Amino acid sequence: MENLSEFEANQKDLIHILHKIQAEYGYIPSQALSSISKHLKISESEIFGVLTFYKAFSLKPRGKHLVTICTGTACHVRGAPMILDELKRQLSIEPGETTEDDLFTLETVNCVGACALGPIVISDGDYHGQMNTREVNKLIKKIKKEIKE
Amino acid sequence: MIIFIDGKKFGIESKKTILEAARENEIYIPSLCDHSRLSPFSGCRLCIVEIKGRRGYVPSCSTYVEEGMDVKTDSPRLRKMRKQILELILSEHPNACLICSEKENCDEYKSTIRKVGEVTGCVLCPNNGRCELQDVVKALKIDKVRFPSVYRNYEVKKNDPFFDRNYNLCILCGRCVRVCHDLRGSSAVSFVFRGSKAGIGTVFDQTLLEAGCQFCGACVDVCPTGALTERALKYETLPDETRKTICPFCSIGCELKMELKEGRILNSAPSEDGPVNQGQACVKGRFTIKDAVYSSQRILKPMIRKNKELEEVSWEEALDFVAKKLKKYKGKEIGLIASPQVSNEDNFLIHKFAEYVLKTENIDSVVRFSSYAVFQDLAQKNGFELNLNFKIEDISKAKTIFLLGADIVVTHPIIWLEVLRAVNNGAKLIVASSVDFFLNRFSSLWLKMKPGSEYFLLSFLSKVIIDKSKVENLAQIEGFKNLKSSLDELDLSQAIEKTDIEEENIKKAAEILIKETPSVFIFGMELTQLPWGSQNLAGLWNLSLQTQGQLVPLGLETNLRGLFELNRHCSSNTKGFKRIIQDAEEGKVKALYLASPIPYSQKAKFEFLVIQDSFMSENMKKADAVLPAASFAEIEGTFVNVEGRIQKFNKVIEPLGEAKPDWWIISQLAQKMGHNELNYNASSEISKEMIKNIPGFSGISFQKLKKGERLFIQEEKKGKKKFVPIKFFSTSIETSKEYPFLMLVDYNLDYYKNLDLSQEIKAFGIIRNSRWFKINPNDAKKTKLKDGETMEVESSKGKVKGIVKVLESVPRGTIVASFLWNEEETISVARLVSPLSNASHSLVLLPVKIKRGK
Ligand code: SF4
Ligand code: SF4
Ligand code: SF4
Ligand code: SF4
Ligand code: FES
Ligand code: FES
Repeated sequence: MENLSEFEANQKDLIHILHKIQAEYGYIPSQALSSISKHLKISESEIFGVLTFYKAFSLKPRGKHLVTICTGTACHVRGAPMILDELKRQLSIEPGETTEDDLFTLETVNCVGACALGPIVISDGDYHGQMNTREVNKLIKKIKKEIKE
Repeated sequence: MIIFIDGKKFGIESKKTILEAARENEIYIPSLCDHSRLSPFSGCRLCIVEIKGRRGYVPSCSTYVEEGMDVKTDSPRLRKMRKQILELILSEHPNACLICSEKENCDEYKSTIRKVGEVTGCVLCPNNGRCELQDVVKALKIDKVRFPSVYRNYEVKKNDPFFDRNYNLCILCGRCVRVCHDLRGSSAVSFVFRGSKAGIGTVFDQTLLEAGCQFCGACVDVCPTGALTERALKYETLPDETRKTICPFCSIGCELKMELKEGRILNSAPSEDGPVNQGQACVKGRFTIKDAVYSSQRILKPMIRKNKELEEVSWEEALDFVAKKLKKYKGKEIGLIASPQVSNEDNFLIHKFAEYVLKTENIDSVVRFSSYAVFQDLAQKNGFELNLNFKIEDISKAKTIFLLGADIVVTHPIIWLEVLRAVNNGAKLIVASSVDFFLNRFSSLWLKMKPGSEYFLLSFLSKVIIDKSKVENLAQIEGFKNLKSSLDELDLSQAIEKTDIEEENIKKAAEILIKETPSVFIFGMELTQLPWGSQNLAGLWNLSLQTQGQLVPLGLETNLRGLFELNRHCSSNTKGFKRIIQDAEEGKVKALYLASPIPYSQKAKFEFLVIQDSFMSENMKKADAVLPAASFAEIEGTFVNVEGRIQKFNKVIEPLGEAKPDWWIISQLAQKMGHNELNYNASSEISKEMIKNIPGFSGISFQKLKKGERLFIQEEKKGKKKFVPIKFFSTSIETSKEYPFLMLVDYNLDYYKNLDLSQEIKAFGIIRNSRWFKINPNDAKKTKLKDGETMEVESSKGKVKGIVKVLESVPRGTIVASFLWNEEETISVARLVSPLSNASHSLVLLPVKIKRGK
């Protein structure tokens, strides 16, 4: 599938290649694994190991909008679990999943380095600090409204 | 160097870890993720120690000793930390039994059995009693777990051959991942996911089979817990005895340890310190031995034909019958076929029997078709000394490894491990083959070539090297001028045309061979099993001389080398396999004594046929007498492995039924025929006589052999070297409109005597199967054939049936089949070739046509 010939068959390039594919497709399609395996001469299980280790890669297509909630220690004590519950309820998905209409993907992250502002929710790269259930509700509604327009 | 452990002074070799140093001196440091054959991982942190002058605690498994180092392995603080670490591990492991205060008495009173899928504690775990985790818990005196317990609740994976994976018991030590990646090169399993979901797994949770597992069992052997367990052992209790012997399923001859319970084999596994296999084995030695030995195909009683039916009789009656019949024939009317899968002692005796009792020259074996025979022939004709010995461990010292033909991951797994070690040390692997072998993942260069065109490739490489390297060095070797002029007529375009290899790759190969020395050339039967096999070999021989490389000829069968040494010296004027069959077809040989499987010849009509084997076979339909031979596990003797090492194997169990050692049968027969010089009481008596009489074995100490030392066959170390001029003739086996496919043969030793392992052992048949015809997905699509369907393959000589196996590794336009010596007529690939008696028969390449079968 991929044109991998631009890469040397160097096993050190694995992460780099995965990043490129992730950027291009928004996820790592399963067929990519066998092409990478042949190109870099490493087993598919090993590639799978690497790509499930790093948060940056996903195996399922991501939704149009990515909502990430920090569940790091600071955010946790400031109420992140409640916000996460709210998000799960609103979107009817678990963290790591994408809504059936492919509009939202929900993810968690452990600390984004803005603890003082916690709890943190990031929507499509925008940071929202000091979130609570009400705010997050509003945020989702806002995005949904934007989609409709 | 000097180090101190717990205040005591020790002299330790450098390059050792603290843990190794401690173990050597019997100082216990708890450890879980460390394994003596694997690189340090430092995952469990149980092995922490204190080092004077350093802050904190270091893992002793990955910290190397230094001069004067002062190590403390035990202190209240260390003990406390280790306990805490282990309790954390146990919090995710079924721990009820581990910390149960009644555990000492449990065995006595427990009523339970292990017939439960879920392992909630040691009593229900197949690893109970042989578990490293249990040992460490005991050593650290853990009696409670102060963390909340979690049960991961993963489904136990039971859908692969031979072993189950229960990751609820996994402690994430990573040993399986390391052994699979570092030592076996499969990387079928890996660490997957992160955080609380982290575990061991395969790509998309596929089965191991799909993930490229070889089922070598190495991971099962290193797993410290019951997470990986052999299915056959699941409901067994602990063995009461362990015995060591040699695996008979290929020419490597791995040392195996067999666990026994009340005289029955429970399982087999590589012994940790086997000198050839160093703790490794392969799927056959690890998982199939028990089922093969106890196969329902075993012949357990002597039988003779009475009123058209084979009937079981006593040994006395059977031997009398055979002796009486054999006496009726003149020497030249009797033929014998010896087996490369029995001991040297057995073969020595059968040769002696032929010579002294039957007085016949008609004795032969499949050695006739081996690379050894082709090599010997080449050496004799060209006047150089034949050297066949090599050492497996030398392979890993090479800088270039040139592999021709053989799929060593399957045929010679331990050689593969050594090649992998070389590659991991930076050696270049060049593979010349038409099939895309699994090990190509590790090659620097794959010379994808037209099957059978090897000598054009090899000769062209010779030519390039002559042109590029210093001629003076080579010119000193005899025959250089002849070689050089014989290569004149070959040019690049011809080499490319004949081999189909890209120009750039041929050049690359030559470059590597010149630059990266020393080199090792490994080749299997595929290279020599062609009408022009000796030219292929000549090309390789020249190349090895030019680069001062080592040739590694891979004999296939267990004791092929031993039988070759016998043949070489005892029966220089014997007749030859083809001749015997031909004579039989012509009615000149009237009685045949089969001590080995051979292809069933439709035309051959014998008055009298004796079969001496351990397993039933097609040929039995025609036999007049069937004599049950014991299997390797029931006797002792010696095998010579692929390297030329003579290895003693031991009796593990009593013979099944009334089976007897081959030598005993022959010896009894001889006596019945009035020859007392073949009277022996033990195979060791024969060993001693053989050592006296057969040059390759001469000077060898039987005492040393008995003690388990591995001694090499004697051969001239610095034999005469001489180049062999190459003759180019237009040889090729071409497909045609009528027969558009080229059939290649896989030479795997997936049979033991007359037993086809893939048919006898279901789980093995899933991994590889003698009935498979492997085909490229494109060809499968074109011919509308699907995996698992029946397929018919037809050559100009006949047709046979098999099962379609679609594989991407098979090149387009080819079919890859397996070959067994003795199969039922409708499925035997031997049916497709001209009879063995025909000189030009080629099993490696054959034009065929295919279609869907019924
Ligand atoms: S793996 Fe060992 S400690 Fe765990 S349940 Fe099995 S026997 Fe017990
Ligand atoms: S059986 Fe061998 S190849 Fe398969 S996973 Fe275990 S170590 Fe790897
Ligand atoms: S399966 Fe066994 S060897 Fe592999 S990580 Fe788990 S406990 Fe260790
Ligand atoms: S490599 Fe050969 S000798 Fe070793 S276990 Fe496998 S079949 Fe037996
Ligand atoms: S814990 Fe959420 S930003 Fe640090
Ligand atoms: S044995 Fe040293 S860290 Fe596991």
